[in-house]
Amino acid sequence: MTEPLLSVEDLRVHFHTDAGVVKAVDGVSWSVAPGETLGIVGESGSGKSVSALAVMGLVPVPPARYESGRILFKGRDLIAADEKERRAIRGKEISMIFQDPLTALNPVFRVGHQIAEVIQAHEKIGRIPARAKAVELLGEVGIPNPRQRAREYPHQFSGGMRQRAMIAMALALDPLVLLADEPTTALDVTVQAQIMDLLIRLQADRGTAIVLITHDLGLVAGHADRVLVMYAGKVAELGTIDDVYYRPRHPYTLGLLNSLARMDQRRTDRLRPIIGQPPSLIRVPPGCAFHPRCPFATDVCRRDVPALEPKDGPDHLAACHHADQVELQQSPAAS
Amino acid sequence: MTALVEVENLVKHYPIRSGIVFKHDVGAVKAVDGISFELAAGETFAIVGESGCGKSTTARCVLRLIEPTSGTVRFDGEDITAAGTARLRELRREMQMIFQDPFASLNPRMTVRGILREPFRIHGLEEDGKVEDLLEMVGLLPEHASRYPHEFSGGQRQRVGIARAIALNPKLIVCDEPVSALDVSIRAQVLNLLEDLQKQLGLTYLFIAHDLSVVRHIANRVAVMYLGTMVETAATDDLFERPSHPYTQALISAVPVPDPNRERSRRRILVSGDVPSPVNPPSGCRFRTRCPKFANELSEAERQRCVDEPPALVDRGEGHPTACHYSEARTLV
Repeated sequence: MTEPLLSVEDLRVHFHTDAGVVKAVDGVSWSVAPGETLGIVGESGSGKSVSALAVMGLVPVPPARYESGRILFKGRDLIAADEKERRAIRGKEISMIFQDPLTALNPVFRVGHQIAEVIQAHEKIGRIPARAKAVELLGEVGIPNPRQRAREYPHQFSGGMRQRAMIAMALALDPLVLLADEPTTALDVTVQAQIMDLLIRLQADRGTAIVLITHDLGLVAGHADRVLVMYAGKVAELGTIDDVYYRPRHPYTLGLLNSLARMDQRRTDRLRPIIGQPPSLIRVPPGCAFHPRCPFATDVCRRDVPALEPKDGPDHLAACHHADQVELQQSPAAS
Repeated sequence: MTALVEVENLVKHYPIRSGIVFKHDVGAVKAVDGISFELAAGETFAIVGESGCGKSTTARCVLRLIEPTSGTVRFDGEDITAAGTARLRELRREMQMIFQDPFASLNPRMTVRGILREPFRIHGLEEDGKVEDLLEMVGLLPEHASRYPHEFSGGQRQRVGIARAIALNPKLIVCDEPVSALDVSIRAQVLNLLEDLQKQLGLTYLFIAHDLSVVRHIANRVAVMYLGTMVETAATDDLFERPSHPYTQALISAVPVPDPNRERSRRRILVSGDVPSPVNPPSGCRFRTRCPKFANELSEAERQRCVDEPPALVDRGEGHPTACHYSEARTLV
């Protein structure tokens, strides 16, 4: 594997609220290399977006507090970096696209103006060439009539086009890392396919590292190289998609795969859901956070937090006391 | 099999009005434009399609929550489009709905007991002890009755919504995206609950969804809608194994499956552009503006037919009806 471009090391981001301390990210590490796609999956409230927001410096401090950890980009720690240094990186070398482009785009400025603004913020370039570059970018992401569209406002765009415009903005300065937080969740599947196709082509052209944050295990299976499974603010499992889907070593991963309805197979039986529901991040169960829902749980799980350790190879990590028993289960993804 | 619901030529147009003093119609949003289908007692019939295709409007017209512009809906042989207010209220005991957003569909100021008592109160029925029974049926505890909706998780709230829907022992339940707001692990729980209740109570489901994986799992038959019309309908496995309309094919090929090897070997059929406006749908076949077959495989003469003649929903040799002049079954999953 090539040297990681961006790595998050033992990151802890806790939110101090009136109701208690929300441990949104609690000791999470991951990295992404040039040209690679890392999927981060988890259910709502698992903390899957927070580490990406931390990379961008978009976590509000307070209420949040960085309890520990480093975010290394090209060897520099972004948490320790001053605002000026971070601004130079954010939007230029690392950029982010969000789930809802309507809230991410400013409704009172023309789309072309907003893209040009990003370019002008980072480069010594005049207004007119910046505008021209914005039009060019809109064309590149597949917006028909880019010259005219650049003069329109976000509300005049359809959902898929807004997402394209946001991708154009994120790619304006040829970033090395693209953080995509649920980039297609608000879109219909045929438009989702168009957008993912676009991201893959751009990645192939430019060698961008992509972090794809989603709850959709199908999307990750189709588009990621490696996947990180998060549960209750911690990493449950990390590995190549083949390892994680075909040889899951964490019961939560296995449970997720078991509970999925499959479009590509005839129905065999009822679904096998995970019992119970995800914990509130204010009251995470002691020991392994997954133990109340886990069919493998024993006393040790209720007592000790399992460490994230290599299983059958240095690149496949799982945080489970009973990973060996999980291995004996047939993964439903293996067909 | 007897049909519980028969829908014939259902049309729902929303007029677009203009003018300040002299209001006049300048057009219409053709949300649903002439669709027909039947629901057999005890089956799950799913309508799938992307946003704006008219699937929810169809569902609401079946319950007459909105008035159809034209067409008939027969429930148990009775034309409900002609039913008066009093009769309609009686009929509503037999047909209920489960909504997508369990937070928006439960009154935040009422306890669960209050919410579950309301159907009985409205219809002047006795409800002694029924609230507790209902909670048990949907997998909640009797003590949950005194809580408010905000005290529940999304999955539990959806269970309350389901309890309310089954309270009066209906025959038909319209499920409008019942699990799309739920997380994966909770989704499976609610789908299993819906299946258990169907078996236990002999329910018929009209299932509205955009998630094809869920539909393949739960439905007996599926209809695909595009821009207000039905483009293909078939028994579930038949539809997924032999999709014949280019839109169905694009839809199926666009859904990612949680199996890396299969994903690597799959062929995606990409459609171009966005759904056209339902105010001015394209002439002839409504899908032709985005259709990959129209763009890449047809001759000029063949295309002309797509432009001129709206294709009827009939069996063209694929074993199930499709609305495409040049339909042809393909294997995609």
